[in-house]
Amino acid sequence: MKWNLFIACVLIVFSFSSCIEILDDLTLNNDGSGTFKYSINLSSSKVKVNSLLALDSLDGKKVPSIDDISLKIKEVVSQLKESNGISNVQMESNYTDFIFKIQFDFSSLKNLQEAVVSIVKSESKGTNYKEIESRWLTFDDDKLVRSIPQITIEKANQFKKEDADLLRLGSYTSITRFERDVVSFENSDAKQAKNNRAVMLRANAYSLTQNPSLLDNTIYLVKEQ
Amino acid sequence: MQIKFIFTFLLFTSIVFGQNSENLVPKDAASVFSINNISLFQKISLDELIKYEFMEEVQQELFDGSTSGKTLKDTGFDFNQKFNVFYGNGDDYEVSGFTFGITDKAKLFDVFDDFQPMESEYPGVEFYVSYFNRIAIKGNAGILYRVTPNDRFVNDITDSVWYANGNEYPWYNDYYDGIDWNEFDYEEAEEIEFFDEMEIEENTSNPIDIEDEELPAATEDPTEKTYYEFRDSIELMLQLQFLKKVNDELFLQGINLMSSDNRFATRLSNTAEGTFYIDNSRTIRKDYDIRYMRLHYPSLYNDLYEVYKDNLITGELTITTNSVEMHMDANYGDKLGSIYEKLTDTKFDKNFFKYVHKDNSGFFTYRVNLRAAYEQAYDVIVPILEREAENTNDMSYSLLVLEIMDEFLNKDAIFDTYKGGMFASYSGIKKVKTKKVVFDYDEETFEYTEQTVEAEEDMPIFTTGFSTDRSDIASKLLARICKISPNWTKHANYIEIENGMLNSASLYLIVNEGIFIITNDEQLAINNPKGFGANALSKTIQKKALKSGVSYAYIDLGKAIETLPKNLFSDRENQLIDVTRGKTGSLEFTSSGTSRNKTSFNLTYNFEGEYDNSGTYILDLINSLYVIAK
Repeated sequence: MKWNLFIACVLIVFSFSSCIEILDDLTLNNDGSGTFKYSINLSSSKVKVNSLLALDSLDGKKVPSIDDISLKIKEVVSQLKESNGISNVQMESNYTDFIFKIQFDFSSLKNLQEAVVSIVKSESKGTNYKEIESRWLTFDDDKLVRSIPQITIEKANQFKKEDADLLRLGSYTSITRFERDVVSFENSDAKQAKNNRAVMLRANAYSLTQNPSLLDNTIYLVKEQ
Repeated sequence: MQIKFIFTFLLFTSIVFGQNSENLVPKDAASVFSINNISLFQKISLDELIKYEFMEEVQQELFDGSTSGKTLKDTGFDFNQKFNVFYGNGDDYEVSGFTFGITDKAKLFDVFDDFQPMESEYPGVEFYVSYFNRIAIKGNAGILYRVTPNDRFVNDITDSVWYANGNEYPWYNDYYDGIDWNEFDYEEAEEIEFFDEMEIEENTSNPIDIEDEELPAATEDPTEKTYYEFRDSIELMLQLQFLKKVNDELFLQGINLMSSDNRFATRLSNTAEGTFYIDNSRTIRKDYDIRYMRLHYPSLYNDLYEVYKDNLITGELTITTNSVEMHMDANYGDKLGSIYEKLTDTKFDKNFFKYVHKDNSGFFTYRVNLRAAYEQAYDVIVPILEREAENTNDMSYSLLVLEIMDEFLNKDAIFDTYKGGMFASYSGIKKVKTKKVVFDYDEETFEYTEQTVEAEEDMPIFTTGFSTDRSDIASKLLARICKISPNWTKHANYIEIENGMLNSASLYLIVNEGIFIITNDEQLAINNPKGFGANALSKTIQKKALKSGVSYAYIDLGKAIETLPKNLFSDRENQLIDVTRGKTGSLEFTSSGTSRNKTSFNLTYNFEGEYDNSGTYILDLINSLYVIAK
């Protein structure tokens, strides 16, 4: 039941994601701790989201109410709060413009990844996503390797063609911030902030489902003194 | 003597072997859809046919692969006989299926290959069985049917016998009787962790200690049936009993719908491609509220049923080169007819047409005199309630409330404000202005802020309006709301409700010339609040609408249906709309004047250009009628 609701919430986000804007913002301190922010912006699809929410069911699946979505978000937040090495969890839900933002601090990248894995696992009971166990973030003194968790891509590939086509108008932005200057990075589509302490990568949501490595990047930092 | 013998023999053979498929429709069928000219359907594949909901009762047979790649032509059906789909849900049992003519029995059982022959107790009738479905063949006609006792009836009998035998309430568990609830201190209760996974010996964290705890027995006496086993037995016996009743009527007593209802026989004599018969006076019995009423207020039920009796819809479907025409008669008894007659005793409001653009994708309008209908309904219903009130206090109370409301409510104000006539139009999908939030990034640090900017989204454009003789009441109320509600803004000719449409775009209210209009069409509200003028609905369509009886509707399928967002409708509504998806042309719905006993409706479905198989148009319409009637 819980899983069905989760699926329904995901559906509501993606089935009308003509203009979905996803932003992940990772701030990494020198000691490996940091802050992670994740935002989903559906404000440019308000009409579609509202009309969907007005329905009881769609394609035979129950459409969650705002209360259902809110309850699910609370569950995820409380699960995050209980995760090892995770603190200061803040959630902001705007049901007028449909913008959802979550941010929290982590003690290490290991803690961050374990927390995400734990949530995915608890919400996908019975489904075994092997790739979720693999590391998509590694930080080794002066080098950060980032990729997109495979489960995101797998989920996106399960969409019907017409829904996947709608993703063409959506975007995914990934920002990584550091306490030290960035020396270089491998992804040629990435941009460096003028203060040299942040790297941004943007991709079309549909292209990302077709080529998951679009947002892969290895970032080299100046050596810590 | 010899002539007499030959005559008797011919009569006998014509009865036994000249059986027509329509004579096998059980009298319990409340909805029947008959296809007269089934040669139209020869090209339709069986796989396509079984997708229709009206075939759902036999899908278990037809989905087993035996139909793959075959058409109706391969079934051995007789295309000179009618194909009748029927459904009936009476007080005690449900009967459903279809009847058909047969030319080739071998071919028939190539398709219905799961059916096994069974012994027949009826002379001249062959029986075949597959799970709950039966096929009976008499002469050159057959019936595939299923008889199912109603759950409520099965439950009533099961419970009655179950308790009479001294059994406990079947869901009662006496485990809790032995617990002293005062022993528990809820605040200090330990938190128990539950596992969703199935508990087996290998993975359980709390293995059951078999030595310490005795396993519960299924029942004290293993030969005794549990409640559910007992219920299954009752259900099976009832099914056989009702099946026998249906068979006796059909094959021994010669009782069928044709012989018991001449309204069905009359409609079936029509040579149109398809006919239908929906006896609403019987289908209403399955309604839960009606059943409740029957149980608690039997005399009221009988009185109200008297009002509803003779409520029957019959009609026919005719196919021409480029159109399908449906004619439908809604028949009713005198009492209900007297209400309908008053309800439609009014004229169309011509002012509606000003507010419908000539390029609309579809619109409909109806004229209703709510005041007259209310007075008539009051005159019909109150005497019934008075009779019931003599026996029950509940009804006296209801009658009291009704009479007080009738005396003290300002009926003039209510019915002058909302007279009953209304229209609605659909203008397709248009871009509407909305607002969206974007993240604005600072190039120095990539920090971002949220900015609200103008945006556009696709929105279906609807307009609806109704007649009012008291525009002053609406105007006064709206003016007050505008003062207190920040989202409501009064403009010179209209009121704008910001984000009133799906929380995203403006909704407009217009009160003008005795019409109250609600629309999300900016073009109408801002630029044409007094009507579209020369761009209003064409005179030709206006005349057609005015000539129509109680209602008129027109849809340009090419423009309207494809653009209608599926997510605006329920699954059931989509099932009905799907009939016209992917097709071009137009649908026009007209009605005749309403008389004391009948209102007639016509639906003309004009399709343009080439079409592969006209049969699918008929099947689509029949399926829609079936979904509505079931």
